[in-house]
Amino acid sequence: MTDKVVEKVAIQTEESRNQGRRAFLKGGAAVAGGVLFTQAAQSADIKFDPQKAVAPYAGREEITNVLQDQAARKSLGWGVRQYPYGMPSPFEKEVQRRTLEWLTPDSMASITMTPLQSLHGMITPNGLHFERYHGGGININPDEHRLVIHGLVERPLIFTMDDLKRFPSESRVLFAECPANGAMEWKGVQLNSVQWTHGMMSCVEWTGVKLSTLLKEAGIKPEGTWLIPEGADASGMARSVPVELAMDDCMIAYAQNGEALRPEQGYPIRLVVPGCEANMWVKHLRRIQVTNVPLQHREETSKYTELMPDGTVQNMSWYMEANSVITYPSPDFKMQGPGRYVAKGIAWSGRGKVDHVDISFDGGRNWTEAKLTSAVLPKAWTRFELEFDWDGSELLMMSRTTDETGYVQPGMPQMRSIEGTNNVYHRTAMVTWKVHAHNSEFGGMIENVQF
Amino acid sequence: MFNSKKTIIASAVAGVMMASGVAMAMSGNGEAAKAGNLVTPDSSKNPELTGVTGHPENWRQIIEAADGKYLDGAVVKALLGEDDRMRLVQKMDPANPYSFEVADAIDGGPHGNMQCKVPEAFVDVHASAQANYNNDTSFVAYGYGTPIAEDALQVWKIHADADGNGLPPLDVGMSVQQGGDLYIQFCAMCHGEFGEGAKGYLPLTEGDPLPLAASDFNASAPVKTIRNYWPYATTLFDYNRRAMPFWTPNMPMIGDAGYMGITGYILQMNGIPLDDQGTQIEDSDFFNAEMLMQTNKYLENAGNFFCDHRPVIANERCMSDCPDYMVGDGTGDISSYRTAGRLPDGTPAYNVDQRIEVTAPGVGHHGF
Repeated sequence: MTDKVVEKVAIQTEESRNQGRRAFLKGGAAVAGGVLFTQAAQSADIKFDPQKAVAPYAGREEITNVLQDQAARKSLGWGVRQYPYGMPSPFEKEVQRRTLEWLTPDSMASITMTPLQSLHGMITPNGLHFERYHGGGININPDEHRLVIHGLVERPLIFTMDDLKRFPSESRVLFAECPANGAMEWKGVQLNSVQWTHGMMSCVEWTGVKLSTLLKEAGIKPEGTWLIPEGADASGMARSVPVELAMDDCMIAYAQNGEALRPEQGYPIRLVVPGCEANMWVKHLRRIQVTNVPLQHREETSKYTELMPDGTVQNMSWYMEANSVITYPSPDFKMQGPGRYVAKGIAWSGRGKVDHVDISFDGGRNWTEAKLTSAVLPKAWTRFELEFDWDGSELLMMSRTTDETGYVQPGMPQMRSIEGTNNVYHRTAMVTWKVHAHNSEFGGMIENVQF
Repeated sequence: MFNSKKTIIASAVAGVMMASGVAMAMSGNGEAAKAGNLVTPDSSKNPELTGVTGHPENWRQIIEAADGKYLDGAVVKALLGEDDRMRLVQKMDPANPYSFEVADAIDGGPHGNMQCKVPEAFVDVHASAQANYNNDTSFVAYGYGTPIAEDALQVWKIHADADGNGLPPLDVGMSVQQGGDLYIQFCAMCHGEFGEGAKGYLPLTEGDPLPLAASDFNASAPVKTIRNYWPYATTLFDYNRRAMPFWTPNMPMIGDAGYMGITGYILQMNGIPLDDQGTQIEDSDFFNAEMLMQTNKYLENAGNFFCDHRPVIANERCMSDCPDYMVGDGTGDISSYRTAGRLPDGTPAYNVDQRIEVTAPGVGHHGF
């Protein structure tokens, strides 16, 4: 066994030095706010050069202690079905839904946030899906649960869960976002974590029946222009849903990520209103009344309405605007010195697919388009990434998405100038992460700042 | 700053009328040219209407020509003008393709149940709804459900809308005094004897509330109470019966009569009048659905609601050397920003216990 292999793997020749990333400084690569972007401009006949590839390791100290076997290697593991329902590794125990106790006076009408900083891909695991209760979580026996569709229909109908599962089904990956996501940040920033700034949302695959199918099944009448979905929980949660939305793409979901809905998400069934405020996605759904007037429920008048700076109020807000956030690096992480980083994040739009995500490192003056690295589905989280080289100077990082309707996510000063700061809901403008300069007092720390 | 909704509507309607439906004023400096391959709106300039536009009648073509991107900055500006605030005004005109409003929703005075709609310009939504509904001519039921009589739903029908549908018959109710007694028994421990709030629950009424119009972006947010914020009185009855008392909602012991009495008491404490003369609810009044519908016309804030206007911000996707309004604090300054509170030693506060347990900051909202 060779102890010293440094020369073999990491001889830094003049050639490799010139091909290393510092060369880009001389080579005229795009530079923005202390960041430069690698550009693939090599001619096609140059092949992979292993020596060049490992050049960045040149001079780095090597580990020379002989590796030992760990306990797992020296004894048997557990048998199958030790855990009939599998759980995450105990080492992932910090990856949790969290709440801020000062947000609400009790925990039965409250919210938890999804740990976005620890998630990967476009799917939220069921156990980490954010919770929002208006009257506490409940366990409902599905054998006793019923859904009624009545009101302005030819034939009022009642369905068992088995009935609903006989209908043609549809599975769609969709984000569910509380309109209060980011509510704490209208008057400035409060907290340093993407879990607090954007965690009132999750994205899972929902399976269920199209609501249009069930409305036609009951023979919805032309004068039926509003639906009042209602839950079977203590809050009797309800909203008013216009029939156009219902017929567009609403679903009655009985499954999330392949298994039954979790109680936290409305077991045994919930309404799914893709792209729209998650409070419309009534959980534990038991009744849909077809009417010709909205209900004007407390949750669409007193709450979930937006106070404008002139004292007027906008209500009946449905669609969640296009939005995006960089989850790495974000305030839960610290930069490990100058070098190459991959910015990663999520973009989404309540009105369709994400078309572009751009990242700025200089507070919004210049932008570079990021790569979309997941499936791009309408009204679903879309992952983006952008490689950049950090020279250690201060960065003001922002992500900005453009959706397929052409809507470009605005900055906070622009949104504030229209909507004021007492709006509470739909704070969907960009956030800014300040990366403290490497040599500064808080070198490498990432701080939530607001212009 | 724009003024009250009534003022906005008045000016918008006047603008449209002056523009005779087809005339359209672009706000100067040839911004319409930015629309690129867009169809030009069939408009003529009218200098008297700077910033106020009627929507062009060929809006559908404009959207189609832009590949269906109905929220593209250039498309929105071509249809609604350059100015963000004026676009907001435009969207309150129900005839505008971007408006969520319907005609009877803009009544600024005592009004019925306000309606909103999915804007016409959201062409994809309407096309999909049409395909799934009216154009699905071959649909025949699967027959998997079971018919049920409306009468079988008496217990489940807890819904009372802002038109008064679903309210109990007129003989169901009680005196406001009796309602007050029930309120003390079932509600006061969280909401306070006089609606002043308790245990962290917000007040139901305030004697001297902050104005809803913000004096300054950094000033405290007004507390939203029934008196200063709620648009309908029916909502109060519906919500009380549906969801209160919090720990055991829709309580048979209170019943429809009791919920009606409690509703009367809460409206009384908020000073909601019964008529144009400002007649107040008396303790001896028998509060029932009729009296509730009387108060429903006199909520102070009723005329100030309008349908979702978003988005009115219509930016271009700028990639380099972007204009100042998109940069930093909106003037191009990137050194002017706010941070979260720092820990006692000055360190930025992270996802740590010291930070999470701080008192509620003044964040512009009072609970959800």
